[in-house]
Amino acid sequence: MGTTASDPLLHAADLVLRAWTRVGPSEVPATPRAHDAGLDLVVTDRTVVATDQDVVSLQLAAADGGRLPKWRPGAHLDVHLPSGRKRQYSLCGDPTDRSSYRIAVRRIPTGAGGLGGSVEMHDLPLGATLRVSRPRNAFPLAVPGHGSPADRLHFVAGGIGITPILPMLRLADALEVEWTMVYVGRRRDTLPFLDELSSYGDRVVIRTDDTDGLPTAADLLAGVDSGTAVYCCGPVPMIDVLRSGLLDRADVEFHSERFSAPPVVDGKAFTLELENTGEVFEVPADRSPLDVLAEAYPAIPYSCRQGFCGTCKVTVVDGKADHRDGSLTAEERADGCLLPCVSRARGNRLVVRADLY
Amino acid sequence: MPRTLTDPGVVALHARNVAFDVSRTPLQWIRGDAFASHIISAINFMLPEGERWFCETFNEALPLIEDADLREAVRGFIGQEAMHAQAHDEVLGDLFRAQGIDTTPMVAIAERIFQQMLGPRNLPTAAARHKHLVARLALIGGIENLTALLGDWVLTAPLEEYDADPAVLDLFRWHGAEEVEHRMVAHDVAEYFGVGYFQRAGALGIAYAGFLLLLGRVAHDLVKQDPDMPDHSYARVWFELVRGGRRGTLPTLRSIGWSAALGLHPRFTPEWIGNTAQAVAYLAKSPAARAAS
Repeated sequence: MGTTASDPLLHAADLVLRAWTRVGPSEVPATPRAHDAGLDLVVTDRTVVATDQDVVSLQLAAADGGRLPKWRPGAHLDVHLPSGRKRQYSLCGDPTDRSSYRIAVRRIPTGAGGLGGSVEMHDLPLGATLRVSRPRNAFPLAVPGHGSPADRLHFVAGGIGITPILPMLRLADALEVEWTMVYVGRRRDTLPFLDELSSYGDRVVIRTDDTDGLPTAADLLAGVDSGTAVYCCGPVPMIDVLRSGLLDRADVEFHSERFSAPPVVDGKAFTLELENTGEVFEVPADRSPLDVLAEAYPAIPYSCRQGFCGTCKVTVVDGKADHRDGSLTAEERADGCLLPCVSRARGNRLVVRADLY
Repeated sequence: MPRTLTDPGVVALHARNVAFDVSRTPLQWIRGDAFASHIISAINFMLPEGERWFCETFNEALPLIEDADLREAVRGFIGQEAMHAQAHDEVLGDLFRAQGIDTTPMVAIAERIFQQMLGPRNLPTAAARHKHLVARLALIGGIENLTALLGDWVLTAPLEEYDADPAVLDLFRWHGAEEVEHRMVAHDVAEYFGVGYFQRAGALGIAYAGFLLLLGRVAHDLVKQDPDMPDHSYARVWFELVRGGRRGTLPTLRSIGWSAALGLHPRFTPEWIGNTAQAVAYLAKSPAARAAS
């Protein structure tokens, strides 16, 4: 870098930064932050909230009745079930109530595609203790007139997707922001919280597949015009319908809850060997190699888990790669780069070198 | 209704898989203010190296963070910064090199700073290595103080009135909105690693002074390479920087100074700079972010 070697500005920067990186604490303080991983909450109430009896709402409170961390509409809890399963449930109660959280769970039997988590939640008795994360918000509400330049809100909820929407529409109502909602489901008796919504009158339009057929983008976006902010929570196909329906509408905000780590498609089990340490891992067909590595090395770099940000990059030392990312160039792949969050082995063995720090 | 109920609060961070088509963008992408255009472009030359350095430094810090929430926030931050670096790196080729600009001298400056001066170093003791890490984390905190201000500014700057190219404007606004969205992270990390008031204040000073000097320098390098510019002097770059602030095509030096003053407040929190709801609303409208998610 001969061109910059004698530059006075860079020379000064070099001196300042050299000095700068020598001052400061030499270890992490013993108690850096007061709060830590999670909360242990007790189930204090259990109410059936859909006519088909398959949705219950659970009230959760601290065992000592203490104040819970604050949350905002759209937030969810990561719930650690007694079986070790982890599920995310949106908070659907009142954010100003700091003594309890409310979540709602639709029971999906394992025969009908459920993975057992919702059945386990339904079987929880009153008084049971659950380990949950602090509330996290991956579906934030930007209220029109309070940061958002939009002037009205339109909610689209699909079945149990109503949960994060409930606190949003209550806040919109309290702030007297104009709003409407389309609420869809298979049958009317499967829709939770119809009682709570009845007071909002014709601002809530209910559509069910059995009487109205599958909704189109136009059905879901009825009344949406320039200056509307759309908030959608429901099954992925419904979100996709809306996203494509709104693709050319730069005058409309479109908010949906983001899903991380899509499931592995057509994966085959293989053996992953870490060249750095010589460790051998078995990667099952339905998990990513990153998932398996992160279990052994929780601080391993990764972020998007969808094959675009490149953070988890490792180097293939031996074996053939099955690249499934959308970001590495042909050159990088030729150099052995691989994104283990989505990519796999072509054969039954892959040897990689990873930054483990 | 108190602001605390309408503010979305802290957002769980996710990287967005964006792409920008700048193949038809002119070199002076703010057609109505060529100097402002080149001054904002100068930031683009610093970003790929700078943000990759953020990612490397935070990846290095990750194993030392035992707070689960902070670790999640850092992961989201790293993914967003990695996408910023990718997007601005592509613009270097698709816009600047495609329009005949030799990007090597500007990129060499960024490489010298972020790789040579601030990159990994072989230090003899664990204490020295840790000091080196914490000093870099503090510096990132200082830089993010500034990027929160710049991100907030670009979301509402009247650049359309000066005929700014929509794709590049979306690039900077998507980036700016994510800077506002994740503005707590670097501050929280510095605090977690025990960065005290004086180290924070020092980092802020170095970040702001360094940013402005480099900005002037790189913008001048770019102006010199553009034959269509009316004046190629260094003084003119600074004159136009001040004038752009008055017009609204650049942030004012006063707003930059004010954000530094806020940062020097003993009880400073990045929530004081920018508006999360405004950033969230833009990301729900940004053509690139919408196409990606």
